[in-house]
Amino acid sequence: MTVEILFKSITKKYRKGPEALRGIDLEVGKGELFTLLGPNGAGKSTLVKIATTIIRKDSGQFSIGEHNPHRDFSPIRRYIGVALQDNELDPAETAENLLTFQGRLFGLTRNQAQQRTEELLDAFELQTERAKKCETLSGGNKRRLHCALALVHRPRVLFLDEPTVGMDPEARARFWQVITHLNKKEGVTVFLTTQYLEEADKHATQMALIKDGTIHYGGTVESFKKLVNAEKQTSLEESYLAWMDLKSKPELPVN
Amino acid sequence: MSTNTLIITRSILKLAKQPTAPIMGFAMSLFFLLVYNAGIGGIGHLEAFGDKGYLAFIFPITIISLAMGSSAGAGQTLNADMQSGYFRRLYLSPVSRRMLVIAPMLADTFSSLFFTGIILAIGALFGLPFQFGVLSVAGILLLSLLWAITLCGFSAGIMLRTGQHQSASIVTNAIFPLLFLSTTFLPRELITSQWLLAVSWANPVTYVLEANRYLLGGTATQEFFLLGLTILTLTSAGSLIFAVGSTDKIKI
Repeated sequence: MTVEILFKSITKKYRKGPEALRGIDLEVGKGELFTLLGPNGAGKSTLVKIATTIIRKDSGQFSIGEHNPHRDFSPIRRYIGVALQDNELDPAETAENLLTFQGRLFGLTRNQAQQRTEELLDAFELQTERAKKCETLSGGNKRRLHCALALVHRPRVLFLDEPTVGMDPEARARFWQVITHLNKKEGVTVFLTTQYLEEADKHATQMALIKDGTIHYGGTVESFKKLVNAEKQTSLEESYLAWMDLKSKPELPVN
Repeated sequence: MSTNTLIITRSILKLAKQPTAPIMGFAMSLFFLLVYNAGIGGIGHLEAFGDKGYLAFIFPITIISLAMGSSAGAGQTLNADMQSGYFRRLYLSPVSRRMLVIAPMLADTFSSLFFTGIILAIGALFGLPFQFGVLSVAGILLLSLLWAITLCGFSAGIMLRTGQHQSASIVTNAIFPLLFLSTTFLPRELITSQWLLAVSWANPVTYVLEANRYLLGGTATQEFFLLGLTILTLTSAGSLIFAVGSTDKIKI
């Protein structure tokens, strides 16, 4: 397996808060659809923010592809696409203009950016919303646009932090069509955090479990389910909840 | 078009499409100019005001307050992007971090200069004297440019370091009292309060006001103009360094 994302002994403590990450070791293979699960406050978003260079780690190393994200500023930004929990839209711009501008920022010519805009408006079913200002879009459409913006420059690695929050079921289904196509047909590596465990169950190939800033499991989704409950077939959600409920948690492998 | 040009163009167009803050700043400055001149302009015949009247004396505070009340003081362009979360989207693009602060500063500074030009034109219609003609206009625009950079840079730097768009007002709130602890309404010769006189000497805003007065009514000396220019050159340079340096400490 070629390692696409590598975290080694990552620690992070916020100034006036608890230790968010306590020595995270994680590897994500190229072309995987990887999901990081954990309760609120476990450190998922912190790890994503470190990976996307929004915040700095306190110690440890990490790399994405062959890039050192803090040193290779421009190359890493072209290599990764990011859709974080909060929408990042210019409220005064239209959906269409925002997508086109994003393309231009990433080096596409005007024609290329406009073509890519059409592709994404189509893929995310935002054609009827194209001329609307972002501030007037519904919550679900804002979310779709936010995710579409992460894909304008055809990144090789996608960081998605709870991407489908606020989307209706149809939009979520469409979103996953796009993401699984990118992952399976184009080999894009996806790093996903989600509270919708059925999504992780359905789409993720690899997972890790994080709690209190440490990794408690790393491996396939199926292995996790079997480890928590070897006797019967359960959904990921059932396995996860069962593991969270257990007073004495089984020792899980951390790959 | 390079990403730098794209981001600068965007900042300028954004401000042009949403000019509420700079227009409000301009309107307030114009309002106070008219009120001050109408209310206390009658004392302009006194010898301390020279022979150019009260309008030439009070006008510089209009220019200074214009920048504070407008986008330069608020760091409006950067402020809006941080508030909406779009700043993070820009941060995650290949745009250089330095350009993320320089572009909105440029937009805010141009806006401030634009409205300074308009208010100078209005002043000229009301008989505002320009001691050295076109050179006076150029000099006032230069002082205004340096003042706007000073405000923009510190506002932008503080916003970047704190990650809080609301912190832009720290700069204007800090400077606001200085406008009144100065020779804003009366020349030194007519200020009777010794403590105010003493504070005004130490207040850098005094020299900026006097520098403008040298160019308008010639009521100040060239030394004051040079001092004011030097002070603004230093503060604008410091502000730029602070703003650009803040791009390594961005908190989002």
